[in-house]
Amino acid sequence: MMKLLMTAMKASISEVMETMFFLPVEFGAQKSFKQTWVAEDKSKKACQLKFTGDVKGSFLLIISQNLLVEAAQNFLGESRESLEQEHLIGTLTEMLNMFCGNTLSKIDTKAPFELGIPKIIDKSDILDTQVFTIVETTGSRMAISIVMD
Amino acid sequence: MSYSILIVDDSLPMRSVIIKTFKAAGYASAQFFEAANGKQALDHMKNGWIDIVVTDYNMPVMNGLQFLKAIKTQELLKDIPIIVVSTEGNETKIKEFMDAGAKAYITKPFTPETIRDLVTDILGEVDYDETVDDSNEGFDF
Repeated sequence: MMKLLMTAMKASISEVMETMFFLPVEFGAQKSFKQTWVAEDKSKKACQLKFTGDVKGSFLLIISQNLLVEAAQNFLGESRESLEQEHLIGTLTEMLNMFCGNTLSKIDTKAPFELGIPKIIDKSDILDTQVFTIVETTGSRMAISIVMD
Repeated sequence: MSYSILIVDDSLPMRSVIIKTFKAAGYASAQFFEAANGKQALDHMKNGWIDIVVTDYNMPVMNGLQFLKAIKTQELLKDIPIIVVSTEGNETKIKEFMDAGAKAYITKPFTPETIRDLVTDILGEVDYDETVDDSNEGFDF
């Protein structure tokens, strides 16, 4: 199941990022939270979205401030100066919502998955050993992980 | 003709994106109203006429399916077309909405053209001569 989810997740991220945020992506290596750059920068934001269904778990997304601002600009069609915190947080939660919903829609299951409400979490809530997939865009990066309960 | 369009989504950016999509599609002269969940939307609909509703599914307080079912129980509101825009594309979920009376179901991510074509089909062709001067925000996403 995890392999299926990872394959679907990569296809979904590419689709969502290109269609809604106009940012092409490439996938980098898998690294633990502790090993990657994501643990070092306090300006980055982390978001979690839980799901239930045939399997239960959650998606975790960590994104750099630069990439979040760029994504919000493209998504909302607004200038960098006009973006407020609410726009950035809303863009982040919606981005993860689309990644997760689109991914789970690609998985054939007996019972439909149900999504929770995306929430911003503190990076201290993430285990150092949690494995993330690095997602590269033009000059910026984010990291995403699926946690199975 | 100026339409009244209600956008129901707990995400402020997504409401903004959908409104821009409508404006880009030629509905710049429409009146747009926003609600963050089904309950807020129902409260709004009791106080003024709405021509079309675009709603998310996954929202706190009252989700899109509960909202849709609540509308369908009310004589004055039950014929208002409801478009569902959701990240969840599972066939069972889509069928549940369509059986409950949704006019259409769009999965995210979507292109502006998808919404334009669908809404134009539901509301009819817009008079671009009347709306083009107001549409100064352009097709900007």
